Amino acid sequence: MQLLVQNLLSVGLHHYLILAVVLFGIGTFGVFMRRNALTTLMSIELILNGGNLTLLAFARSHQDMRGQALALLVIAVAAAEAAIGLAIVVGVFRNRHNTNIDELNLLRY
Amino acid sequence: MTFDTSDLVASLPLLFLTVAGIVLLLLDAFSRVVLVGREHHLKLPAETSEAVAVPPPGSRNYLMPVTLLFLLGALAIIVWQVGTLPETSVTIYRGMLVVDRFGLFVIGVCVAAAALGIVSAPAYMRAHKMEFGEFYALVVFALCGMIILVQAADLVSVFLGIETMSLGAYVLTGSWRRSARSSEAAMKYFLVGAFVSGLLVYGIALIYGVTETTSLIDIKRIAMSRGAAPLFYIGWMLLLVGFAFKLGVVPFHMWAPDTYDGAPTPVSGFMMSCIKAAGFAGLIRLLQGTLPMLARDPFTGWTFVLSWLAVLSMSLGNLAAIKQDNIKRMLAYSSISHAGYLMVGVVALGTVGDAARGPLLFYLASYALTVVASMGVVSWVGCDERGEERVRLSDWAGLGKREPMAALLMTIALLSLGGFPPTAGFFGKFYLFQAALGESKLLWLILVAIANSLVSVYYYLRVITAMYFREPAPNPATLPIQSTAMKVGVLVSTLLVLAMGMFPGWLSALCAAAKF
Repeated sequence: MQLLVQNLLSVGLHHYLILAVVLFGIGTFGVFMRRNALTTLMSIELILNGGNLTLLAFARSHQDMRGQALALLVIAVAAAEAAIGLAIVVGVFRNRHNTNIDELNLLRY
Repeated sequence: MTFDTSDLVASLPLLFLTVAGIVLLLLDAFSRVVLVGREHHLKLPAETSEAVAVPPPGSRNYLMPVTLLFLLGALAIIVWQVGTLPETSVTIYRGMLVVDRFGLFVIGVCVAAAALGIVSAPAYMRAHKMEFGEFYALVVFALCGMIILVQAADLVSVFLGIETMSLGAYVLTGSWRRSARSSEAAMKYFLVGAFVSGLLVYGIALIYGVTETTSLIDIKRIAMSRGAAPLFYIGWMLLLVGFAFKLGVVPFHMWAPDTYDGAPTPVSGFMMSCIKAAGFAGLIRLLQGTLPMLARDPFTGWTFVLSWLAVLSMSLGNLAAIKQDNIKRMLAYSSISHAGYLMVGVVALGTVGDAARGPLLFYLASYALTVVASMGVVSWVGCDERGEERVRLSDWAGLGKREPMAALLMTIALLSLGGFPPTAGFFGKFYLFQAALGESKLLWLILVAIANSLVSVYYYLRVITAMYFREPAPNPATLPIQSTAMKVGVLVSTLLVLAMGMFPGWLSALCAAAKF
C-alpha cells in the first residue's frame, strides 16, 4: 500500500510518456478499425493529444517553454482541422446521406 | 526580445501572399449574391434554410485576373529577392524560417505553376456549375503554407507549413460541392492527411524530447555530437512516414489516385505540381537538418529505406497506370511513379551530395510545369451535357481532329512526362540519373528507374494514339470548354516545357545556383 502511494506521488516523465503512447495507440487503432468518419475524426484528435502530451511532458522535464508553445500551436491547428473535417463530413453526408467510410467507393480502380 | 524589421523584408513573398489571400477572400465575400429558394437547389437537404445566397453566374469572373496579378507580383518579389540575397543564407523570425536561393527557387516554381493552373479555373467552374469564389483565396493560402514549408528552418515551421498547405488543399478538393466524387475525394484526403498530422506531431515531440530543441540546425549539431537515441530514430521515422504520405509515395499512396481523380481538375493540377514540389523541398530541408547520420553507403541506413520507397513507388505507380482507362486517374498514378523518380533524386542527394541538388530541382520544375499543362488540357476537353467530366480514353478518341490544338499540346505534355527529347522531362530524367551515377552503388536504382520510364512510355503513347488514330464516337457528347485564358495558360506552360527541353542550360544553371 505504501509502495503504491509512493508510486502515485512520484509521477514522473515516464508516466506521461507512457500515457501519451497509449493515447497514440488508441487513436491509431481507431483510425484503422472504426468505419464512421466522425469516430475516425475523434481518433485523430486522440493521436494529436498523445503528441501534445509528449511535448508537454518533455517541455516540463527540460524546463523549456518551446514545447509548451508548440503544443498551443498544435491545438490551434487541430481546431482548424476539426472544423474543416466536419465541413467535409457534412459535404459527404449531403451527397450520400451516410458517413460510413467503407461505402465511399465511387472512386476506385 | 527585439523585433527586426529586416525580417519583414526578407519574408516579403509570404507577407504579400497572405495579404493577397485576405483581399481575395474579402472581395469574394462582398461580391453580389442572389437569394434563391429551395426549389432551385434540390441537392440541399431540407434542414438548411429556405433561401440560400448564391453568386449569380459569372459574377466572380474578375477574381481570376486579380489573383493572377497577385501571383505575378509575388513572382516579381521573389526575383527581386534572389537578386539582393547575400551569399550565405539568412535566418529570420528567430530561427523559424531561412531565406536562401534553394527555397526561393522552389517557391518561384510553385507560384508560377499555380499561376498557370488557375487561369483554367473560371471556365472549368462555369462549365461544371461550381462557381466557388473562395477558390482563389484558398489557392493563395495554400501557397503561403508552401512558402513556410519550403523556407522552414525549424520543426515548428515544417509542421505549420504542411498544415496550412493541406488545410487549403482539403477544402479545394471538396470544393465541387454537388459532386459526390469530389466530396468523397476530399474525405479520403482529409482523413489520411489528419492522421499524418498526428504522426508529424508525435514525431516532432519525440525529436524535441531527445534533442531539447526544434531548430533543424541545432538538432543536427546535437545529433552529431552525442549520437542519436532510439527515440530520435522513432521520431524521425514518423516524420518520414508523414512526408511519404503527403507526397503519395508507395506504400503510403492509397489516397492519391482517388483524390487526384475526384478533385476538380485545376485543383488536381495544383496539388500534383505545387504540393509535390513544396513537399519534396521540405523533405530535403528535413534530411539536411535532422539526418546528418544519413549513411553515405546506399546499402545501409536511411538511404536504403528511401531507395526502396523509390523503387516501389516507380514500379507500382507505373503498373497501376497501365491499366487505367481514365486519363485523370492515369495521370494520378503517373504522379506516384514520378514521386518515385524524385525519391531517386533524394537518395542521390544523400549519397552523392550537393551535386545532385541541381538536377533534383530541375526535375521538380519540369514535372510541375508538365503536370499543369496536361491537367489544363484535361480541363479543356470539357464535359458532357450533365456536367460530368470527359476523362475516359474513348472520350478522347479523335481529339486530334476535333480539337487539334488541345491534342497537340497534350502530346507534348505526355512526351515530357514520358521523358522524350526535346522536352523538359527528358532533361529532367537525364540530369537526375547522371547525377545519381556519381555513386556507382546506385547503379541498380538507376537501372530500375530507366526500365520504369520505358514501361511508362506505353501508357502515355496509348493516349496519343487514341487522340490521333482512333475514330471518334459517331456523336460525341463532349463539349470542349472554350476559354481564351485556359488556352493561353496551357499554351504558355507547354511552351515553357519545350523551352526547358530545347535550351536546358539556363534552367540547369539556375538550379545549380540554388544553394542552401
